[in-house]
Amino acid sequence: MILGHSDYLAILLSLKVASVATILSLPFGFAVAYLMTYRRFRGIVVLDVIVNLPLTLPPVVIGYLLLLLLGQHGWVGRYVLQPLGIKLIFTWKAAVIATAVVGFPLMVRSIRTGMETIDQRLVQASRTLGAGWFDTIVTVIAPLSIRGLIAGSILMFARGLGEFGATIVVAGNIPGITQTIPLAIYEYVSSPRGDAIAIALCLISICISVAVLVFYEWLGRRMVRAD
Amino acid sequence: MDLTVHVKKKLGTFFLDADFTVQGNSVGIFGPSGGGKSTLISLVAGLRHPDQGFISLDGETLFDSTRGLHMPPEHRRIGIVFQRPHLFPHLSVKSNLLFGYRRCDPRYRRITLDTLVQVMQIEHLLHRGVRHLSGGEKQRVAIGRAVLSNPRLLLMDEPLSAVDDSLKFQIISYLKKTCEAFDIPYLFISHALVEMRVMTDRVITLADGRVTGQVTAEGLARAEMGHAARYVNLIRLSSPRHINSLYAYRWGGGELLLSTDTGPEEGLFQLPSTDIILFKRHPEAISARNLLKCRVSELFETGGRVGVVLNYGGEQLVAVVVGESVRELDIAEGVEIYAAIKATAFRLLG
Amino acid sequence: MKYALRAICFAFLITMLSALPARAGEINVSAAASLREAVTELTGTFAKNTPGTTFKNNLAASGSLAKQIVNGAPADIFFSANPEWMEYLKGKKLMDETNITTLAYNVLVFVGKPELKVKTMRDVVTLEKIAIGSPKSVPAGQYAADAFRKAGIEKQLENKLVMARDVRECLMYADRGDVSGAFVYKTDAEQMARNVKILFIVPQELYPRVTYPVGLTAAGSRKAEAGAFYRFLQSSDAKKILVKYGFIVK
Repeated sequence: MILGHSDYLAILLSLKVASVATILSLPFGFAVAYLMTYRRFRGIVVLDVIVNLPLTLPPVVIGYLLLLLLGQHGWVGRYVLQPLGIKLIFTWKAAVIATAVVGFPLMVRSIRTGMETIDQRLVQASRTLGAGWFDTIVTVIAPLSIRGLIAGSILMFARGLGEFGATIVVAGNIPGITQTIPLAIYEYVSSPRGDAIAIALCLISICISVAVLVFYEWLGRRMVRAD
Repeated sequence: MDLTVHVKKKLGTFFLDADFTVQGNSVGIFGPSGGGKSTLISLVAGLRHPDQGFISLDGETLFDSTRGLHMPPEHRRIGIVFQRPHLFPHLSVKSNLLFGYRRCDPRYRRITLDTLVQVMQIEHLLHRGVRHLSGGEKQRVAIGRAVLSNPRLLLMDEPLSAVDDSLKFQIISYLKKTCEAFDIPYLFISHALVEMRVMTDRVITLADGRVTGQVTAEGLARAEMGHAARYVNLIRLSSPRHINSLYAYRWGGGELLLSTDTGPEEGLFQLPSTDIILFKRHPEAISARNLLKCRVSELFETGGRVGVVLNYGGEQLVAVVVGESVRELDIAEGVEIYAAIKATAFRLLG
Repeated sequence: MKYALRAICFAFLITMLSALPARAGEINVSAAASLREAVTELTGTFAKNTPGTTFKNNLAASGSLAKQIVNGAPADIFFSANPEWMEYLKGKKLMDETNITTLAYNVLVFVGKPELKVKTMRDVVTLEKIAIGSPKSVPAGQYAADAFRKAGIEKQLENKLVMARDVRECLMYADRGDVSGAFVYKTDAEQMARNVKILFIVPQELYPRVTYPVGLTAAGSRKAEAGAFYRFLQSSDAKKILVKYGFIVK
């Protein structure tokens, strides 16, 4: 087998980081999507822009901004993390954060699309039947948003598997800790003798992406049929 | 119910400025489409904020802009039935019904699932999902859901407009039966006069965002007669006897003979006032099968026509004639007069 | 309107055309990242003394440079931080075999924050994260990996190694404080380190001597200016410049 121990680790790490980033983003994604769909407030446009920014920014820029924010001399790093003794830069957590930030707009968009199809009268009926706003979220809006939540999760997971630019800046290329598939391929691509392994990892990456997309389509069809 | 509403709300180019106080258990809000009825309802329910104003129900303030008070809808105990059922698609019929009940304070839980289900006859639907119910069934479940939340006021926003004509009066009878059985006051919105007359006693008229009056349902019908030159008599008949090709119903001072293609029917019939012809003297031979000897109890003028209120053995009929006819026939209060009605003039509503 | 459009197209074409061909008198130098300042001065001096010569310097990890050359990147001079990559290009027949020589040597050191109590290879194991160049393409990283193996600490350093794309990035990580320390060349530490200092010199018996061969590529051998520069690199003036930047010369 061409792949070595650290290469298998890279595959596992990719799956782990993408999964954790997706799961952690779900509640925040839901909250933001809810605010943007159901609440009017000043600054909603600003929130919209901030949430969608990672879609248009080069991931390297996102990584660098995260580094500036969370690093030792950063605003959050110096006043929040250091006093608490938390180190984020060049750790597995930083990889998760980078992946989560980059994929967040995808999740919010999917959830919003799902939420916007919910019949407004259902929410109104729920309120007049005695359910407050939080009760309504849990018993009416969330169950009816499941489709958007799942679509958003799959999209974010798929994007997370391919995350490179932000990850390498803020989490570094540490085999076994932060070296995901893209980072491993990057190392091999610079190496004259790494082409065979690079291609092998590329194929594995493609296979995983294809599997995720096929699952996404299948799920979509199944949900349409359930209607 | 004792409801006081003073509200102003601007929506785009539409401006709602409604002021009224009403007491009673069966109140209607009548007016043309776009007049602000739905907006008014949403303000009373708390689903929207008035720009300024005051709303109080049974002595409790629901909204007061001068004090910055707005009671959120979940605390108002005001239920709504919309035009369409809007049942929760992810819950079963039973869960839909119990949604409001579960969230109702136990000390207000007068109405229970079992009694409601019996009154509304939806027991067989309880464990079904909501997707495969017929339109009429869905609306019944929606009404049941609102009623089961034990509201102190039920708002109904044109609940029949999306229902088939043949089902409309069936649903009306459920609505009336349920609200009367459980003693729930209601505010019934419609632009259909007949529905209003069946469901309500007092009616608030709303047009162009303003309250234009408060009348009885009967008074409304008479006023509308002036606009549309139409008044429909609503007559409840039952226990028909089959005579040759006709059906005879006991009513008032005697019997009414009806001719229908569809066999014996019972329920609420409509009889347009224009189908009643008045005779000063008993016409010897006449093709109409019904000839009723009535006494004129009242005359009222509206829109250039005259409504003649006839008393037939305790029951009331309204005929409409022109002013000349009144003078020619010497029609006045207390006078005896004959009313001729064709057997085919009656139509069953439901 | 049409005139403006034509003017724009014309300007565009000119820009494109002038970007493409290498001009006569231009020498492409691919050199190891640790040689950055030295190569800048070497090429600058030569260009000053030889009017009409310009240089395009490409500085990166030696392995990456070798791969670029194999893939067709223009290079007339290849200055590597280890013989391995020079041999690799020789094997691919991309070097002028008669014009390869060793110019300098270096020493591997460990840098870190001054307060750190790290004096030997064993001490390094106690640290949280250390940076090395990726051994797959960076000679400094390869030397460090060799040292780990010889010192028997390879296993203990698993999951602690942050891979850098060249030795300078390595130093930057340490300088920034995101790693506890880094394995770099003595020359890098002395020239560039700001917040870190050399904590110890890696014992020479643990790794092969850091050797910098330089050579004319097959393409470069066809350029007179490149040949002239190659000879200049072996002059005493060139050696003085290398020594100035801390390299050891023969």
